Amino acid sequence: MATTSPKFLFTEGTNQYRAYKIAGFALLTLLIVIVAFAYNDTGSITLFDNSYKLSITRVTKSISFMVAILGLQVVAGFTGQLSLGQGFFFGTGAYISAWLVADQNWAWFTSLLVVVPVCFVFGLVFGIPALRIKGLYLALVTLGLAAIFPSLIKLDVLLPYTGGAAGKQVDSDFIPPSWLPLDGVIDALHKLPIIGQYFGDGEGMSSKEEQRVWTFFLMVILALICFKLVSNLIKSRPGRAIRAIRDNETSAAVNGMSLSFHKTMSFGVASALGGVGGMIYVAELGIASEGDFTQLISILFVVGMVVGGVGTLSGAVVGGLVIAFIPDWASSTQNLPGIPERWLQGPTGGLILGVGLIVITFVLPGGVISFFRQVRGRFVRVLPQSPELVVAGVGASLQVDGGDDPSSPAGGDTSNSLTTADES
Amino acid sequence: MELFLNRISDGLSNGATYALIAMALVMIFKATTLINFAQGEFAMFGGFIALVLASERGLPMWIAVFGSMVITAVCAAGIERTLIRPFDPSDHLPLVIITLGLFLGINALAGIVWRFDPRAFPELFPSGNALTWNTATLSWYTVGTLSTIAVVAGGLTLLLNKTKIGLAFRAVSSNLESSELAGIRVGPTLQFGWAMAAAVGTLGVCVFVASPFRQLEPNVMVTGLIFAVSAAALGGLDSLGGAIVGGLAIGLVQSIGVPYLGIPNELSLLAAVAVLMLVLLFKPSGLFGTPQVERV
Repeated sequence: MATTSPKFLFTEGTNQYRAYKIAGFALLTLLIVIVAFAYNDTGSITLFDNSYKLSITRVTKSISFMVAILGLQVVAGFTGQLSLGQGFFFGTGAYISAWLVADQNWAWFTSLLVVVPVCFVFGLVFGIPALRIKGLYLALVTLGLAAIFPSLIKLDVLLPYTGGAAGKQVDSDFIPPSWLPLDGVIDALHKLPIIGQYFGDGEGMSSKEEQRVWTFFLMVILALICFKLVSNLIKSRPGRAIRAIRDNETSAAVNGMSLSFHKTMSFGVASALGGVGGMIYVAELGIASEGDFTQLISILFVVGMVVGGVGTLSGAVVGGLVIAFIPDWASSTQNLPGIPERWLQGPTGGLILGVGLIVITFVLPGGVISFFRQVRGRFVRVLPQSPELVVAGVGASLQVDGGDDPSSPAGGDTSNSLTTADES
Repeated sequence: MELFLNRISDGLSNGATYALIAMALVMIFKATTLINFAQGEFAMFGGFIALVLASERGLPMWIAVFGSMVITAVCAAGIERTLIRPFDPSDHLPLVIITLGLFLGINALAGIVWRFDPRAFPELFPSGNALTWNTATLSWYTVGTLSTIAVVAGGLTLLLNKTKIGLAFRAVSSNLESSELAGIRVGPTLQFGWAMAAAVGTLGVCVFVASPFRQLEPNVMVTGLIFAVSAAALGGLDSLGGAIVGGLAIGLVQSIGVPYLGIPNELSLLAAVAVLMLVLLFKPSGLFGTPQVERV
């Protein structure tokens, strides 16, 4: 980054910077809309006689993983305490909201009012013994938690609430409001030249398809809220405290932070986010079954976090997509030229993710996101707001032009690389 | 009374396996304060290698087990050299992630190679009972597992106390930096620890599945690892003797405590987790471990 000068320079607080931000959000919105409508009924790519599914329901499922991994980022990425039990809270959230919706006639989103506090308190209860002590103890305790979850679900006492081994069926229809012109949008997109063929069949959407798109939009909004909240948390005072603990426990303690308090709270937040992820998962799938919440899913969350990038928020997005799609695609790969069929059966997804986890740790310790950032750094650099602008105050908008001149903010470059390291 | 005695005997034989895996965990923890989450999977893979050596090469069972211990020890030494040593030993997160990657990868590899259907494992100990008292029995299997532990504990004690590499290993576990300054080659010494741990773990799994009531399959150690972890924590994560006591105690909790408290059998794992949490709450250093003292 230091050798090549980037093509675009933006200074925080200027109009150009605002335009850059707005362009970014516009791109994100466009991407979400395209995913929603393009993946709606066209569903698969065929490669070497294997068909790979690209359905929107799986994208919605990956959103639930993203939120759970986001929680893991809080406790492992920003506080430095590895949890191997995110699946426990994911499952707890899924079962609680399934029970509330199916048996108590709650709405999906109001079930979060119960899921979030319950998962938070569970996190505190299990975090307290493990987080008082320095070391890997949280990983040990949570490893056990993740493993007992399926047998807890099958307990006789809980059978009326959880449905036991058969799973908990729940009605997961999200009916889009009638004023929403989903049909119109997809038809308009279908009429576009060249790319239009990927959007629907030109005859509007069936009610099932509309529900899928609507669910996707709702879950995207919920996930965006979670990401925004975590991003604010990380930048706030407690967020700086947990990052200080991650970087050096001793110096954080010397500076007056209570280690066990902050660690336990961050684990509580992580668990609550795990619960939210579980609610999204079951709201999309329509059934909660204990086989989905084994130890494996907890380890997959760690895989997602590492592949995306430890200690980054956008890493959670990449991670969620990776763990939702790779195992599925691996198991639909039944023939590849040059590899005997025997080796393509069985848990190939697990092998790929396991090897991928090790390779990523060696080659890209910052995850996929760090690679993206390096590439972006060649083109775009954001400079922090120059001191003159701050001093001059808001009224001195004339000086905004000075931000264009790369030579003006002295000493900005070095601090820039430090301050942006943790932001999404 | 007879039922009680039978349960003790069951508990001790289960506990023996937990103790062996726990000893493997402790050997690595002692030297580097790292928990190898793939330890159970190493051991499971070793069990399959022993089975293949015995059934496809026609080796006698004990020779096959020994051969598999050597093979897994060599593999673990290789893994330590290539995947673990490049990282800073004091930064745990990347190391734990590597062991998780190994956990996923080895489990999946075993599933691809050997499939998930359970296989019978040849018995390592004579069948039948060594002692019978009314309906209470002490099977040769229990006697065999307990004597295996005794042999392993004796062997490791001799190895650590009478050989040069054992001395080096004890030095590294007691203080990594000082022993490096004293001229001990830390890398190969830790590699030796990994190799020993893998061999002991393999023996543990072979003894575990040699019971006439158990079979070998790729997921056999997924929950076994959790029992072993809480056994190791109960005994003190840096005490080999503690691992044995902890393992036997966890085995007894599982076979005696769980039925008498009226807890369903699937929840024996919950008992293990509860023991782990109680230990962390009241005595984080375990029964025989060194208390953690930090100099600031």
